[in-house]
Amino acid sequence: MTELRQQIEDVIREEPVALFMKGTPEAIMCGNSYRALNALHAVGAPVTAVDILPDPRIRQELSAVSGWPTIPQVFVKGELIGGADITEELLESGDLERKLDEMLGADRERVVKTVALELA
Amino acid sequence: MARVEASTILALLENAFPGAESLDVEDRTGGGDHFQVSVVSGDFDGLSLIDQHRRVNEALAVPLRDGSIHELRIKTKGTA
Repeated sequence: MTELRQQIEDVIREEPVALFMKGTPEAIMCGNSYRALNALHAVGAPVTAVDILPDPRIRQELSAVSGWPTIPQVFVKGELIGGADITEELLESGDLERKLDEMLGADRERVVKTVALELA
Repeated sequence: MARVEASTILALLENAFPGAESLDVEDRTGGGDHFQVSVVSGDFDGLSLIDQHRRVNEALAVPLRDGSIHELRIKTKGTA
């Protein structure tokens, strides 16, 4: 089995938009995760969601990789965009849409999926 | 459940941003674990939003790490 940290890094690097959240898009467990997901939906972003709740090590490893202490965390093409506040602010300013247009193209496919990490 | 006073958060922010134009901390639920902080400071001039938030997260690293801040909302602004 791949190390947890490696799995997290793989998701960040390989997924167009990665959202590390509490819960899943179908069963959101936190208001801030909801805000971030909503902002991404508003600009038609593809979203690959990772639930950090199944094991506390997920959050520990994620924060070690990103240097960001809180959840949710949004990455676009491997780059940390921020948490719920920044994602919402970027939505309101139009920068979120511009960034996604620039990095993923305007005709991006709006797919929402969930990735479960393998835990030892 | 660990909790932290809004005044403690404010003191940490004052310490990290001594020249801030304005600092505000709101205990959103009164429970001592959900906070909204606003910082307007020249320290943020020229920094991207994410780096501005990183500075606030660094200032509050201890209560964030020990879990006494359960939820943190951040609003930052430069002065330029």
